[in-house]
Amino acid sequence: MLKVEKLVAGYGKVEVLHELSLSVPEGKLVTLIGSNGAGKTTTLRALSGMIRPQSGRILLRDADITGLASHEIARRGMAHSPEGRRVFPALSVADNLLLGAFTRLTGTRGRGRGRGDVQRDLGRMFDIFPRLAERREQLAGTLSGGEQQMLAMARALMLSPEVLLLDEPSMGLAPKLVEEVFATIARLKAQRITMLLVEQFAAAALDVADFGYVLENGRLTASGEAATLKNDPAVRAAYLGQAH
Amino acid sequence: MQILAQLIVSGIAVGMIYGVIAFGYQLTFATSKTLNFGQGEALMLGSLVGLTVVAFTGYWLMLPVVLAFGLLQGAVVERLGVRQAIKTKSESGWIMATIALGIIFKNLAENIWGRDAMKFPSPLPEAPLSFAGVNVLPMEIVIVIGAIGMMLLVELFNRRSIFGKAVVATANDREAAGLMGINTSLVITFSYALSSMTAAFAGVLVAPVTLTGASMGSALGLKAFAVAIIGGLSSGFGVVVGGLILGITETLTGYYLSTGYKDVPGLVLLLLVLSFKPSGLFGRASIKKV
Repeated sequence: MLKVEKLVAGYGKVEVLHELSLSVPEGKLVTLIGSNGAGKTTTLRALSGMIRPQSGRILLRDADITGLASHEIARRGMAHSPEGRRVFPALSVADNLLLGAFTRLTGTRGRGRGRGDVQRDLGRMFDIFPRLAERREQLAGTLSGGEQQMLAMARALMLSPEVLLLDEPSMGLAPKLVEEVFATIARLKAQRITMLLVEQFAAAALDVADFGYVLENGRLTASGEAATLKNDPAVRAAYLGQAH
Repeated sequence: MQILAQLIVSGIAVGMIYGVIAFGYQLTFATSKTLNFGQGEALMLGSLVGLTVVAFTGYWLMLPVVLAFGLLQGAVVERLGVRQAIKTKSESGWIMATIALGIIFKNLAENIWGRDAMKFPSPLPEAPLSFAGVNVLPMEIVIVIGAIGMMLLVELFNRRSIFGKAVVATANDREAAGLMGINTSLVITFSYALSSMTAAFAGVLVAPVTLTGASMGSALGLKAFAVAIIGGLSSGFGVVVGGLILGITETLTGYYLSTGYKDVPGLVLLLLVLSFKPSGLFGRASIKKV
């Protein structure tokens, strides 16, 4: 579904990612783990067009999307729940969700995909995230951190995406909420939504994922089935030590 | 007492014009944190194009033509003067560029329509109506209704339509709006178009009670800028109040002090607001996150 070949990206003259290659198969949950500053967020930002890759190729369903603007990539079906949630604070919860479906509501979604019934999907989001249903008319800026995270994920899902990029959905949340977020991710996986999950909670991410990559200083140092990675002594020592 | 009432009523009409132009400043500031310093010239061009068209169509049919012209003119300003500055994250490039475009438009107008002020035909009787001894021009009532109506329509568009919501989303967080599939460059072009459209509309509203001409825009644009600062660049409601404050203080000073000092109180108010509440009387304080 999503294929990345020798991606080089960074900010200005600073190169953060050095020839990164990875792939996310259809219907699978792939996680990208690594310590702070390894380049996880940069990877997602390059994939969704928030920054322009310096070289390499990004293929979405075999179509080359390298170097496209973020709105063009979204129109091809890539949804990104970004670091820091980035909900629209001055808009209501319901309006945030509708904007998630902007490409579908305005017919700008390419190749007739993602048509479906936006209102029905809105109802579905309120089923998955009951807290959002209660706060439907409330301004997103007044939500708690956990609720904003739910909203960011639901908003991305409203795109009816081919691939969903999730950047640190657990960041800054209380342990109970972190559990809730991971339970939601497991539910989405059961619905066979293709996902690339970036996480600092490596253990929890590997528990829920099919496949994992380990990123260190902008380079992949390990990859494999999530279960295998979890038992890899090197990975355990570096990333799972504290968590387990 | 009657004189005071009369002065306030006259000030209201002028103030609403300031308010509409200031509202235009807000539109572009919201989406792009930039302003069109040629906003007064957008008003002047709208008014002069209106003057030419009105001879063929009459006042009311002239309005859609002027609105369309305003949209186009604003889009041109954004494309030529602002887009590149935003792309290169230039802090000040757009300031000079929009001022320069304003001067060019003014020169263009002087060459097409001449330098003299001209009378703009009024669509309504020019005899004032009298309410308890206070005279009101019918056109002044149209100004107030038109100005409020225009702002309400834009507000309604922003709140109700998905495209309007996309504008608000772009204003909230441009990067995140891009992730939704919103073409935020286009949204910014659109906000410039809308901003010039409101200015052009203000131009044909005010022209029948003042005069029209190539130099009518500069002072109006500057005063409306003061209003936008006084009312707050982020508060839609603030510019109406700011406009009324400035309009009324001007007419009061003009009568009780001297017309020579007419412009002073508004500018003093501007300086006071900048010293004590820089985000405007009704603006939200913006905290720059690092």
